[in-house]
Amino acid sequence: MQQAQRLNTPPVDTGDAYLLQGETYTSISDSISNVPLTGPLKTPRGWFIGFTIAFALLMVYFVSIAWLFIRGVGIWGINIPVGWGMDIINFVWWIGIGHAGTLISAILLLLNQSWRNSINRFAEAMTLFAVACAGMYPILHLGRPWLFYWLTPYPNTMGMWPQFRSPLTWDVFAISTYALVSLVFWLVGLMPDFATMRDRSTHPLGRTLWGIAALGWRGSAKHWHRYEMASLLLAGLSTPLVVSVHSIISLDFAVSQLPGWQVTVFPPYFVAGAVFAGFAMVLLLMIPIRSWYGFQAYITMRHLDVMAKIMLATGMIVVYGYFMEVFASVYSGNVYEEYLLENRLFGPSAWAYYGLLFCNAIAIQPLWFKRVRQSIPALIVISAIVSVGMWLERYVIIVISLERDFLPSSWAQYNPTFWDWSLYLGTFGLFFTLLFLFIRILPMINIFEMRLMLNQERQRAAWYAEGTPKPGSHKGHDDHGSNPEKRTTGATAAGD
Amino acid sequence: MNVYPIRTSDALWFGAGANVTATGNSYQLVSTQDHWTLEERDIYRIGNFAAFRENPKVIAEEVYLEEYGNVGRPEYQSFFTGEHAYPKQAWGMSIDLTACIGCNACVIACQAENNIPIVGKSEIARGREMHWIRIDRYFAGNLDNPSTYMMPMACMQCEQAPCEIVCPVAATVHDYEGLNNMVYNRCVGTKYCSNNCPYKVRRFNFLQYSDIDTIQFTLMRNPEVTVRNRGVMEKCTYCVQRISDARIEAKKVAVAAGSQDYVIDDGVIVTACEGACPTNAIVFGDINDANSRVKKLKDEPHSYYPLGILNTKPRTTYLARVRNPHESLEVEGEG
Amino acid sequence: MATLTRQVPFYGLMAEFSTPEALIAATKAAREAGYRKMDAYSPFPIEEVIDEIDHGRSTGIPPLVLTAGLIGATTGFVLQYIGAFVDYPINVGGRPLNWEGWPAFVPITFELMILLAAFTAAISMVVLNGLPMPYHPVFNAPRFDRASQDLFFLCIEAVDPLFDRTETERFLRTLAPNQVSEVES
Repeated sequence: MQQAQRLNTPPVDTGDAYLLQGETYTSISDSISNVPLTGPLKTPRGWFIGFTIAFALLMVYFVSIAWLFIRGVGIWGINIPVGWGMDIINFVWWIGIGHAGTLISAILLLLNQSWRNSINRFAEAMTLFAVACAGMYPILHLGRPWLFYWLTPYPNTMGMWPQFRSPLTWDVFAISTYALVSLVFWLVGLMPDFATMRDRSTHPLGRTLWGIAALGWRGSAKHWHRYEMASLLLAGLSTPLVVSVHSIISLDFAVSQLPGWQVTVFPPYFVAGAVFAGFAMVLLLMIPIRSWYGFQAYITMRHLDVMAKIMLATGMIVVYGYFMEVFASVYSGNVYEEYLLENRLFGPSAWAYYGLLFCNAIAIQPLWFKRVRQSIPALIVISAIVSVGMWLERYVIIVISLERDFLPSSWAQYNPTFWDWSLYLGTFGLFFTLLFLFIRILPMINIFEMRLMLNQERQRAAWYAEGTPKPGSHKGHDDHGSNPEKRTTGATAAGD
Repeated sequence: MNVYPIRTSDALWFGAGANVTATGNSYQLVSTQDHWTLEERDIYRIGNFAAFRENPKVIAEEVYLEEYGNVGRPEYQSFFTGEHAYPKQAWGMSIDLTACIGCNACVIACQAENNIPIVGKSEIARGREMHWIRIDRYFAGNLDNPSTYMMPMACMQCEQAPCEIVCPVAATVHDYEGLNNMVYNRCVGTKYCSNNCPYKVRRFNFLQYSDIDTIQFTLMRNPEVTVRNRGVMEKCTYCVQRISDARIEAKKVAVAAGSQDYVIDDGVIVTACEGACPTNAIVFGDINDANSRVKKLKDEPHSYYPLGILNTKPRTTYLARVRNPHESLEVEGEG
Repeated sequence: MATLTRQVPFYGLMAEFSTPEALIAATKAAREAGYRKMDAYSPFPIEEVIDEIDHGRSTGIPPLVLTAGLIGATTGFVLQYIGAFVDYPINVGGRPLNWEGWPAFVPITFELMILLAAFTAAISMVVLNGLPMPYHPVFNAPRFDRASQDLFFLCIEAVDPLFDRTETERFLRTLAPNQVSEVES
């Protein structure tokens, strides 16, 4: 049941294949499902170390929330011109990170990009956990958080309704829809894998629990037919949903009349920024995990390469957004808009603006080169810089705009306090605790879609082998179909 | 800062021979206002008497010329047909910047009337003062001898209030008299209204500022005004409790006279700030009443509201400051 | 179908294949031979097999999703219309209290449409597939646990009019399966 079942000499990753050679349906099923099927006592020690750190940070989160509930939002650095500080910055930051998962699972499915098959499960899990981190902030940032349900329409003796013109009410619907639909999409994706786990588990309790989760899935063609249809529909519904969610979050700002917030380019610019930050986070998390669990054959250099390309493309859209913000403020002829730019460039918080320009505009430029896109240290560094840069972007938009708005008499600076930072640190605890539990308990790569991908690769290889002209660029795939290496270890592992 | 140690009974008003030495320690000074220039914005309007007498509209025209390139203000077009009507009273306020001497009496009167908590130095340092009305102070002109502009600023009671649109729970809404009401019970404390308020007159209970545990303090407070808890937004109400009082009294009179229609005479309602103002700079009343003082003041050619470009249609308007300095005093010139 | 299965002593005959290509060929052959009551079991969806087994039959999901989406959108709009204009018509920032205020209702209308449609897509897939169904006769077939891993199965059910214990087994053996076995009901 250990990784040793896999080839002793791993195939060379030449950087142009999405699935390395030598994989079979058996090897895919085994190597991915072995991770959750490992007995509790055989859990890698590294996992325990990581989980312990994450869990400790989760306690920081709980302490920060407890103190927040005891004292009130005054423990943070917010004040009157700057009514939203790190609470909303982190909210937008986390939810932006989540968007990459939905993009990978939904939009790339619609675009028939089968390379997504090896990263979508993980990215969707990241989406869910990031949304969980993000979703807590709008509740915690309330002055009276115990009354958050007043933002929802529910029958009440007061005869009150929420105020449907407010973007915050839209947020409630957008975020809860996003979280629920992402969860459903993720669970639907897990269903056939639960069946694999049920069939591979040797422990009676495991068989029972996986069996319950699998709902009796038996891989019938009739089931697959409906399953494919439902997946496609979910992808089709999630695609506009993911665009709408960050658009609506951008409307929190764009609907207002504050210079720096009321920018018409915000919705597309926020969506691009979300995908940008999300891919940076996917790369940051996936690079170590693929090597810890030995999934280099499934998440290849080519995957990292295309993810870096998406990061570059969305990053350039974001840079265009920055340009448009500058253009709008110069072209507006409006003294408040003009001052916004002046304040960003020369004001007391100008460091954030220059920081964001460096992180999001300059630091991504090396990604034009394939050598950089396929260099793991470079990707880690650039992704980390981008994650910081996207945080700074929200700082610039939210805090710098609020610090200096219309009346100079009310201008003031914002200084985050210890509790601002501890809550932010705490959300990492929540995120990584959930993530560590996920990689331990559930198959972190979609097994059935990996088999599908292998099948497609084989068909493609067979197609090339049958004498149709061979484009040189696809040489890497050629041997899959003609010389599949069958291994039978899976059968023994399944207790045949 | 306690200076009594150096103020002895031998010399109550003057002292000599004192030395000042640097201690090397730092001492935090706090202020409710950190920035004092106007940044060339349409906030405080000022003009000279001679020009004003010649053309009373000159002060407004100067601003419009700069902002729109035209002496007139363009009519904004709305997607919406029709406006909200306020058929009974429509409360409004006019503040005369010529008359205001910046004495802060209105601030204190308001604080006493409306149970406004005192938050202390540490909270002021964070920028969390709770005053519903404040005196904004701007400097202009020569750095050595600047002109000082004082501007009382409270909730402007905008008819097209930016704060109301963004509240997700309808905790700040308009009533039939056009007041921008703050419903403390309903407020969940998103602070979005404050972010969207261009005048930044909203105040938030970041912590439990009002001492509601000390029972004796209940005697100190105005029983007609809610004491706010933590986590709710608050702001100037135009002394809504005084408006209600006057309305109830007027209704009693009307009922005694066998009438359904009540009348509230001009000057019956005096807001706390208005009552405390020694120069009558603040005037409150019904702008639906053509004979009210406030309506007449609002019809003056130099009546305006700050940040007119935002079209918030505030109920509070200002009368531009009209100066008539003696030539010998006009050394450096006004900003 | 459930009542019919009780009349025969077993559920059907199951043939096992190692490759998707073999399953595709077998399914095609079975359909050409006239078998209709059959099902294929594979560890991943295979388009050609689905075509042969379901043969143009609709999944029934799209109309349900469309209906749910429309219901969601209508609910969202009506909910907001009632809340803002009928039940609680209050002056908020001078905005109109009639249909002119519709643009503010677009986001929630849209989100509720997606929410209901997405849930319907997922739930109708599960329900129309007859799940959850913890027990099914095909689970009795030998090595069927590998239908979720690396093997491909074709089952011709005993309720098929052409089904004949010997004939069908002979037919299945012509398709070069790894093995053919009887599935208990």
